[in-house]
Amino acid sequence: MITQIFIQSVLAFVMIGFVFNLAALHTWIERKQSALIQDRIGANRAWIVLPWKWAAPINWLLRPFNVLGLFHPIADAIKMFTKEDYVPPKGNKFLHTLAPCLSLFFALIGFAAIPFGNTIEIGGRVINLQVANMNVALLYIFAAASMGVYGVVLAGFSSNNNYAVLGSLRALSQMLSYEIAIGLTVMGIVMIYGSLDLQELVRSQGNYLWGWIPLWGIILQPVGFLTFLAAGIAETKRIPYDAPEGESEIIGYFLEYSGMKFGMFFFTDYLETIMIAALATTLFFGGWQVPYLNETGFQFPWGASIALAPLAVSLLQILSFVLKVLLFCWFLMTIRWTLPRFRYDQILKLGWKYLFPIALANVFVTAIVALVMR
Amino acid sequence: MPTLKIDGQEITVEKGTTIIRAAEKLGISIPYYCYHPGLSIAGNCRMCLVEVEKMPKPQISCHIQCQDGMVVQTQTEGVKKLRQHILEFLLVNHPLDCPVCDQAGECWLQDYYMKHGLYDSKLNENKVKKSAKAVPLGPTIVLDSERCILCSRCVRFTDEITKTNEFGIFNRADHSEIGIYPGRELNNKYSGNVADICPVGALTDRDFRFKCRVWYLQKTESVCPGCARGCNITIETNQERPHHAAGERVMRLKPRYNDDVNDWWMCDAGRYGYKFIDHDRITDPIERSEGMVRSVEWKEVVESFLKSFKKLLKESKNEIVVFISPQMTNEEMYLAKKLFTKELGIERVFLASTNPEGDQDDFLICADKHPNRKGAEWIGFQEDKREIKHIFEEAAKGLIKGMIIFGQDLISFYPDQNVEEILHRLELSVFIGSNHNLTSEHVQLVIPAATYAEKDGTFTNFEGRVQRIRPALLPLAESKPESEILMLLARKLDLDWTYQSQEDVFDGLTRSVSQFRGLSYKKIGMQGVSFHH
Amino acid sequence: MIRTKVVSRPKLSFWERIYFPEIFRGVALTSKHFLKNLTLHLFHSIGLFRKVAAMVTIQYPEELWKLPFRSRTRHRLTKRADGSPRCVACMMCETVCPARCIYIVAEEHPDPNIEKRPKSFDIDLGKCVYCGFCVEACPEDAIRMDTKILDIAAYSREEMMLDMNELLNPSHKSGLK
Repeated sequence: MITQIFIQSVLAFVMIGFVFNLAALHTWIERKQSALIQDRIGANRAWIVLPWKWAAPINWLLRPFNVLGLFHPIADAIKMFTKEDYVPPKGNKFLHTLAPCLSLFFALIGFAAIPFGNTIEIGGRVINLQVANMNVALLYIFAAASMGVYGVVLAGFSSNNNYAVLGSLRALSQMLSYEIAIGLTVMGIVMIYGSLDLQELVRSQGNYLWGWIPLWGIILQPVGFLTFLAAGIAETKRIPYDAPEGESEIIGYFLEYSGMKFGMFFFTDYLETIMIAALATTLFFGGWQVPYLNETGFQFPWGASIALAPLAVSLLQILSFVLKVLLFCWFLMTIRWTLPRFRYDQILKLGWKYLFPIALANVFVTAIVALVMR
Repeated sequence: MPTLKIDGQEITVEKGTTIIRAAEKLGISIPYYCYHPGLSIAGNCRMCLVEVEKMPKPQISCHIQCQDGMVVQTQTEGVKKLRQHILEFLLVNHPLDCPVCDQAGECWLQDYYMKHGLYDSKLNENKVKKSAKAVPLGPTIVLDSERCILCSRCVRFTDEITKTNEFGIFNRADHSEIGIYPGRELNNKYSGNVADICPVGALTDRDFRFKCRVWYLQKTESVCPGCARGCNITIETNQERPHHAAGERVMRLKPRYNDDVNDWWMCDAGRYGYKFIDHDRITDPIERSEGMVRSVEWKEVVESFLKSFKKLLKESKNEIVVFISPQMTNEEMYLAKKLFTKELGIERVFLASTNPEGDQDDFLICADKHPNRKGAEWIGFQEDKREIKHIFEEAAKGLIKGMIIFGQDLISFYPDQNVEEILHRLELSVFIGSNHNLTSEHVQLVIPAATYAEKDGTFTNFEGRVQRIRPALLPLAESKPESEILMLLARKLDLDWTYQSQEDVFDGLTRSVSQFRGLSYKKIGMQGVSFHH
Repeated sequence: MIRTKVVSRPKLSFWERIYFPEIFRGVALTSKHFLKNLTLHLFHSIGLFRKVAAMVTIQYPEELWKLPFRSRTRHRLTKRADGSPRCVACMMCETVCPARCIYIVAEEHPDPNIEKRPKSFDIDLGKCVYCGFCVEACPEDAIRMDTKILDIAAYSREEMMLDMNELLNPSHKSGLK
């Protein structure tokens, strides 16, 4: 029992460490990627240089980090922590503090259900590379994600500021219109593979169509994937769906936040982005699956095969998952730096009048096809 | 009464009127330099040339008298061309130092050159350098011979007005130069006027020199408070750029034309006697008690005044003495009379002033150095020296408890009376004035009042001419005009005074003092009205 | 009679209306820039294709933008041959200044041929709008705006004041005083 708790703790630690660092790195990615897209150079002024003569080799080693601006997330953190933490005098101090914590909490717990690898065997013990192995993982993730809006609403409410309230109301109605669509879009996947258990879903995607096309979710559910992506980005409240923040019009629900409390909201945005990336990977891109790799090694459709140790196979699978997530993060960032913000009514129109009917139609078609195929 | 036509307009003038005067009446301006209505005609600048029909050559309009049937043209091409070339001649030896010249901005050469100048100069010769550049001629005037256009206005002024004959034109032709006779100094009592009448920057005022540019000045019409004459003046202030003269606000005084009082002139004593407006002023109310001196708020000073004053009023009204100053306006004197004598029943209200035995001449300067003694007399304040001496004797015995002194320096007026000690012995001693003096150093309460440049009101000169002064400035720091102080006290003493402005006060004055009857600010205007109106 | 012109909204085609191809086009454009610049940066780091710019950024304090010849920068007062200011305190610049940031106090010059000189000449850079009118107005060519000093900053308003000494000897390093 204690060993079990220990193992789960290690897994949770690994997952949180990965997610947190990736989110912190997102501030850097955001800066640098937007710079490259816009022919700029991006932030590169947070240098760590040791003043002593003997430290020259260390400085030489630090130089690439300095030049790339990789210490900017640290500088950001220092700034966030040392800034004045302001609570509006007529706001609700308790809720004002609670709101960013709730936001961050619900953004984080969803990751417990994401499988980042197949089972591995260490010392005779089979470990499932998933923090919480549950058969309703998908439902759990959606539940957690929709709870996240609580933080936003509380933030707007407790700030005693009309703009902040306006921001949280926008977030609320946006959440209502997209949560339904996002639930329906993944229904197709669930119907095909017949499970809500994510680990099970990923395993099911290890099959091949005609022996050589990996049967990932995207192959079976292209429409589902596109609608999932559209609704998923809306979940993150980032451009083009950033009406709740809308810096140029209402500033948004975190208007009255400063210091690290503001930083937590900021962090939540990045965590939700990673969550959508991880979910898209798991549902539509085979999760940790590597094409033609099974427990013993690579088995190519033209007959060749490479034998691999089980641990190497596991590592490759974890690497595959990480790479896919990173790729999605890059893609989401590109979307964010490509599209302009939708108008508020356009967002709701898109949610209710397009995504929802399309997702519904997708479910019907999938159901009919599945019935016929059987 | 000749009738003539100037530029097509017909006008009938008195016999002997010159064309330039007649044109002025029609609103036609003819440029001139040497002509001055207060001086004899020299006719040497040639700027005022006009064409007169049936006369073979252009004529100087400052000299030619109007005759019946004359037809004068002032705007023909010929006249315009003449002006251009005359200006060209006048500028032959004139340097281009407008940037350093104090006259720039009010220089007639600049003005007429803008209007009539020949912008494309035809002259190429070297300028004849004159000897004097920035030479002080006396305590008030600096001469710059280079800039002189030899109009001889200053020569005629010293010959005809002051009759001191300091100036002359020396050498001949191109080398002519204005100057002072050897061994002389320009130090007559009206020397400042030559800077006013000099149309160019040859004679500039040493006091004003480099203090401020003339285009920064704001002008307010007023009356000189320097003596009983009441010369009409313009107060020229610089308020928007205080850095120029280290915060001094009044830059200079200029005489203002008034046919009945001072013509175009004023004396040097009046012209340079404005320094007290910005220097040595009482800025805050001061309270002295048991050797402690401290600046206080208005509220406090009024409270401490009223405390002792009310007590004295109740117990011993006859032991209060009020000294009115002849520097106060008619309106303020009227308010003082009304407050102290009529409303409060204080009988001992006197006028206190220096003896009228100052410098005097038969032109402008009066012996009496106060601007409003006549007004005080009309309103009912007499200076009874014997009575005042009697009061000091009584006070020395302790029979006087309170003294309210408006502005005047009693200690130096009555040096044989030991006023200083008397003031210290009083229960209540108040000084209401604008500047520090000996008396203000020895009273319990000092209340800051405004100077004449900060007040609205009227003065009555020694001939009985009521003239208007206007506020050129806001009262300095915490000071207030005496009228405002009196109204404040009246309000605190629960009197029902409803004056909204000095005009209201003057209205009350006209109704209660016979000499002012029928007057109003509108009638007084900016030129004043004589008692025999 | 008011003339009106009806401007119709551009009609969106079917492919534009369903939006996805347009998103794809946008993403393709941004990705093109991203990949091109990323590749160029990588090449630059190993010393290749240095001449092809990967960005338009100028690294400000190290690299400076070359100022145009006539750009107006911080003021200076020109000197006579003997080192005294050319300025004669005529107040033209002070008068013309729309921001009223010039404060001149005049005094008598010992040489009567010069006559007038500035006792003090202060410019409040906190108020200056760099219009250059003072340079235009000066009859003596005594004030110019050609120091090429642009980085003007201070911690207080008092420090934004330039006195005559600083204007005669503009020092770049000290910035202000």
